[in-house]
Amino acid sequence: MGASGTVSGPDLSVQIGSLTLKNPVMVASGIFGYGDEFRGLADYGELGALVLKTVTREPRPGNPPASRTVETPAGMVNAIGLENVGVEALVEEKLPLALSYGTAVIASIAGDTPEDFAACAEILDDTPVSAIEINISCPNVRKGGMAFGVDAWASAQVVRAVRPATRKPLIAKLTPNVTDICAIARACAAAGADAVSLVNTFSAMVVDVETRRPVLAANTGGLSGPAIRPAAVLRTFQVARAVSAPVIGMGGIWNASDALEFIIAGASAVAVGTVLFADPAAGNRVLAGIREYLVRHRLDSLQELVGSITLRDGD
Amino acid sequence: MTTREGPSQPTAEGTDGRLVHRLEAPILESARLPAGYHRLVVRAPAIGAVAQPGQFLHVWCHDPTTIGTPPAAAVLRRPYSISRVWSGEAVEILLQVRGVGGRMLSGRRVGESLDLIGPLGKGFRIHDDLRTAVVVAGGSGIAPVPFLTETLVARGVRVVALVGAADDDRMPFPVDRAEPGRATLLPLEAVGAEVTFVAEAVEGKLVSEALEERLEELSGPGAEVMATGPVAMLRQVVKTAGESLPVQVSLEERMACGVGACRSCVVPVTGAEGIVYRTVCRDGPVFAGGEIAWERLGR
Ligand SMILES: Cc1cc2nc3c(=O)[nH]c(=O)nc-3n(C[C@H](O)[C@H](O)[C@H](O)COP(=O)(O)OP(=O)(O)OC[C@H]3O[C@@H](n4cnc5c(N)ncnc54)[C@H](O)[C@@H]3O)c2cc1C
Ligand SMILES: Cc1cc2nc3c(=O)[nH]c(=O)nc-3n(C[C@H](O)[C@H](O)[C@H](O)COP(=O)(O)O)c2cc1C
Ligand code: FES
Repeated sequence: MGASGTVSGPDLSVQIGSLTLKNPVMVASGIFGYGDEFRGLADYGELGALVLKTVTREPRPGNPPASRTVETPAGMVNAIGLENVGVEALVEEKLPLALSYGTAVIASIAGDTPEDFAACAEILDDTPVSAIEINISCPNVRKGGMAFGVDAWASAQVVRAVRPATRKPLIAKLTPNVTDICAIARACAAAGADAVSLVNTFSAMVVDVETRRPVLAANTGGLSGPAIRPAAVLRTFQVARAVSAPVIGMGGIWNASDALEFIIAGASAVAVGTVLFADPAAGNRVLAGIREYLVRHRLDSLQELVGSITLRDGD
Repeated sequence: MTTREGPSQPTAEGTDGRLVHRLEAPILESARLPAGYHRLVVRAPAIGAVAQPGQFLHVWCHDPTTIGTPPAAAVLRRPYSISRVWSGEAVEILLQVRGVGGRMLSGRRVGESLDLIGPLGKGFRIHDDLRTAVVVAGGSGIAPVPFLTETLVARGVRVVALVGAADDDRMPFPVDRAEPGRATLLPLEAVGAEVTFVAEAVEGKLVSEALEERLEELSGPGAEVMATGPVAMLRQVVKTAGESLPVQVSLEERMACGVGACRSCVVPVTGAEGIVYRTVCRDGPVFAGGEIAWERLGR
């Protein structure tokens, strides 16, 4: 297998601010840990970018165990609660291993205050990460992300705080648990985000009918997987029309056809999440399928496909 | 056989030195057992060569050829202990059908193959000075016991197996009561264990109580307890034996990734700086009984 750069064929590269990705397939945050855990199960260096687990200024223990995840029809609900090693341990211990894959590594950050986000970004500015994703949307931490991501002003405030702390491209990761996701996306872009990514998980609950208690120790969590895909495609479509910044689409992508839905609806890049738990090589499979599609449709570049949807007559 | 064999993905060594394989392993045997159990044997020499007792496989319940189709049910893999390794070539799992995933797996047939990742996790520690292993198993905790016993016996360790279930008909193996006053499981004796089977409905006691009765006799230098089964049993075993003997326990928790990335499967462990969370899939599933914060564990 040759390095993807040497494979001739359609141009798969993607521009996110000043960052060029060799192809549009990324791994979503929180799925892949800090990159090393899945090592050996697929050629992750082949993918466009790896987004690492969200980190905060200080390490966090996360939600209580038993249970943190539960499987649901065509999906799962998780309430990990941002358990993470903290930004400093990420930089010192984890980042070198993730960078050794030889593709772009994107750090994801969260915090309780805009200053927390800025502090993380400042530390990451001195590292070889290719970009920073601002997780304003994690629905699991009571005091954390949710408060920012559901409000356009608060979301913009976070992006504005992070912007001067780093020269890295900034990606604002949006929650779908809002009335008007376009307003949040516009506010983030106006505040200096180079790109937006969506969707994070949909708020959800699973009840154990025998005990009449929630299955998740945190009571509520976030739904991901194929179950959310059509809802995620719609939001990607709407946001791509609302902002000129590139959009990274995700939510339930399982195969190349799923990923192409997002791209045709307006996403410049896509991320695979839950599917990696089933198929650790899903990203590679999706990438191969996108390449095959471009060849089959005689398209020279992925860019020709982005947002190429033609709406039907009905309104 | 028309199935493909061998690595479906590149297999490599992680930076922590462990070898994990993802295989499409041909099914050699698929057999319904009593009490809702099912045995699956697959050809997986790469896994068989390196597997340790107590480690598990993360199994895709569907046909491997459908991996590109989003499944409506059983979206996640299922963890199952390695129950036996046959001459390093074939690997067996013994599953109790509990839900949709188990049902699908019990319908898989010889000639098909299983997409599995393994061996995963850290198994039982077998210390050099181990002389007697008191293996306590409850319910589907019986699954890893044959592999554990075989490995221990090969290393010259005496294996005393105390196996518990609600009743005789709740076991995947036939219960032998030929000798009055003593129940045993012949498949476990065949691999070298001294077996005592305890049916709550017949013997009127729990396996942890059987352990208590024999604790003094079995305690001594080089003796250790290795327990697998429901949390309530494990907790009781640690309470009963923890003062006299080292106890290792194998825990279960809901998983997503199976490789330590997603932090789904954590359990509370008492560390130097208080409670910390450790993953069942990578730090476990076997832990020292004393390190688990039992009061914080459980649903
Ligand atoms: C390390 C480990 C080793 C195991 N070894 C064995 C074994 O050798 N034999 C055996 O019969 N069972 C074993 N189990 C339990 C087995 O994983 C569950 O019975 C199985 O996942 C149930 O799946 P299901 O679809 O049939 O049931 P469902 O109830 O439909 O499963 C729904 C979801 O809950 C999860 N789940 C349900 N019960 C458990 C459980 N006890 N532990 C972890 N996840 C669970 C499933 O994986 C699935 O994601 C083991 C569990 C772990 C963690
Ligand atoms: C177990 C789990 C943990 C996650 N952790 C994070 C996280 O730390 N930060 C984040 O921005 N998103 C996190 N997500 C959300 C995913 O990145 C992604 O947005 C979402 O799962 C939708 O994509 P999918 O349906 O393909 O999984 C997590 C998702 C899962 C399933
Ligand atoms: S299942 Fe993902 S960390 Fe254990």
